[in-house]
Amino acid sequence: MRLQYLLEQAMLNLRRNVLVVFAAVVAVLVMLTLVFGTIVLRWSIDQDIGRWDDNVRVIAFLSDDLSLEDVDAIQAQIQQWDEVRDVVYFSKAEALVEFRELFADQQSLIDVVEEDPSVLPASLRIAPVQAADYSTITDRLVVIPGIREVSAADEAIDALVARSSRLQTFAFWIVVVLGGAAVVLIANTIRIAIFARRDEIGIMKLVGAGNWFVRIPFFLEGIIEGVLGAVFAVALIWGVRGSIAELFSTSTDPGALVVPAEFMIRQALLVLGFGAGTGLLGSAFGMWGFLRD
Amino acid sequence: MIRVQDVSKVYEGGTAALRDVTLEIIKGEFVFLVGPSGSGKSTLIRLMLRQELPSEGQIWVAGKLITELPGWKVPLLRRSIGTVFQDFKLLPTKTVFENVAFALEVIGRPRHVIRNQVPQVLNLVGLGAKADRLPNQLSGGEQQRVSIARAFVNRPLILLADEPTGNLDPATSVGIMRLLDRINRTGTTVVMATHDHAIVDAMRRRVVALERGRIVRDQSRGAYETAEQRIVTAQQRPLTAELEGDL
Repeated sequence: MRLQYLLEQAMLNLRRNVLVVFAAVVAVLVMLTLVFGTIVLRWSIDQDIGRWDDNVRVIAFLSDDLSLEDVDAIQAQIQQWDEVRDVVYFSKAEALVEFRELFADQQSLIDVVEEDPSVLPASLRIAPVQAADYSTITDRLVVIPGIREVSAADEAIDALVARSSRLQTFAFWIVVVLGGAAVVLIANTIRIAIFARRDEIGIMKLVGAGNWFVRIPFFLEGIIEGVLGAVFAVALIWGVRGSIAELFSTSTDPGALVVPAEFMIRQALLVLGFGAGTGLLGSAFGMWGFLRD
Repeated sequence: MIRVQDVSKVYEGGTAALRDVTLEIIKGEFVFLVGPSGSGKSTLIRLMLRQELPSEGQIWVAGKLITELPGWKVPLLRRSIGTVFQDFKLLPTKTVFENVAFALEVIGRPRHVIRNQVPQVLNLVGLGAKADRLPNQLSGGEQQRVSIARAFVNRPLILLADEPTGNLDPATSVGIMRLLDRINRTGTTVVMATHDHAIVDAMRRRVVALERGRIVRDQSRGAYETAEQRIVTAQQRPLTAELEGDL
C-alpha cells in the first residue's frame, strides 16, 4: 500500500508539470540515443577490424600438415626478426570460436565451417614494432615453407581504427554535455514539483512523515523521467540499428552485417540503467538543500 | 511531559525571541501561553516541535532530549505531538476525510486502520456528516475542527495549539475550546498559545505569561492578566459570562 501511495504521488507530480517533464525526457532521449547509437556503431566497426586488435597487423595462415614442433620452430624464427614485437599462435579451435562470433547472425556459414573445420586454418598473429613494418614482414613470411597465405592490415584499416576512436572521443564529450543538461532539467522538474507541493510537504513533516517518505516520490519522479527518455532512445536505435551498422562497414554486401538481438538487449538494459541513473542524479540535485527536517 | 531548561533563542540579526526560559509541564496539564505579539509564544511552540533549535539551553519532550535528537528521529517525535494552527493548514484539494486520513497515511498506517479511525475522530469533533466536503465548503470553525481531528487522530501525548481561535469569532471559539478541553480530559497534555483574554479568563487553567521573551508569570488557575492589570471592557463582560456558563 505504501509503495502504491508513493508511486501515485510521483505520477501526480509528473502530470502536473507535463511541459517541463517533456523537456527533461527529450534531453535524456537525445543523450541516450547518442550513447546507444555509438555503441552499435562501435560494434559494427569492431566486426570489421576485430582481428586487428592488440596491434596485430599481419596474419600468417599455416598449412594443415605442419606438426606442432614445426609451428614452434616457425614462431621462434619470426620472433627473432627486428621488425617483430610479438607473435601469437592462434589454433584452429580458437579460429572457430572467433568465426562464430564474427558471423553469429549467419548460421548457414557456421554450419559449413563446423562440418569441415579444415577450411579454418591455424595462424600466427604478428604485431610489428611499427605499424608501417607490415609490408617488410609480409615479404619475409611468404617465402617460409608451411605458410599457406599471408594477410596484412592495410592503411584502410588503420584509418578506420583512427576514425573510430576519434568518433568515440567526440561522442563521449557530447554525451557528457547532454548528460549534464539532462540532469539539470530533471533537477528543475523536481524543484517545481516540490514548490507546487510545499504546503502538503509542510503538513507531512508536521504530522511526522519520515524524511524518506517525503523524498521517495521525488526520486521516483526523476527515475521515471530518465527511464522514459531511455525507452524512447532504445526504441529509436532498435529501429535503425541496421542502417547504423552499415554506416562504416567495409563489407560490399549490403545486409551482411546484422546486429544480433542478444547484443542489442544487453546494451539496451545498460542504456535503461543509465537513464535511471541520470534521473536519480537529477532528483538528488533537485532536492539538494530542500526537504531537510 | 515537557521540560524547557534555560532556553534562549536569538535569531540572525540579533533579535532575542526567548531569554533564559525555564518551564515544566506535567502529563495531562492544560497550559495557556499568553502575552502580546512578539513575546515569544510561537517561538516556544516551534522549539517544542523541533522546527527550530534553541541558541542555548535544553528541551525534553516525552522523556527525550529533543535538542540533541538526530534529524532522522524528528519525525518520530512529531508523531507523539498533535499541532493546531491559527490558519488551519488544511489541503484545499482534499476532502475533510482525506485531510484527516493524510496524517495517518504519511506515517504508514494500514488502510483498515484509517477507515476505522477517521470516522471516529470526525464524530468526536462533530463533523461526521461532512466527511466528503472540501475545506472551502466549511466555516472557519468547522475547518479548525478538521485540523483538530487531524492533530488528534493519532492519539498524541501532547497537543500544541498556536492561536487556534485567532481567526474565529467568539461564539465559534467557545466550541473549539470545549473540544480542546475534551481532548485534555482524555489525558492529552495541551499547550495553547493565545492572546484571547476571554478564553483564558473563563477556563481558569495554568497560565504562563511571556513578555519580550521572558516568563513574567506562571500561575495555576490563572487569568490572562493579573488583578492589577485587569481592565475588563464592557464588550468582554457578557462574553466572559457566556464562556463561564459553557465550560
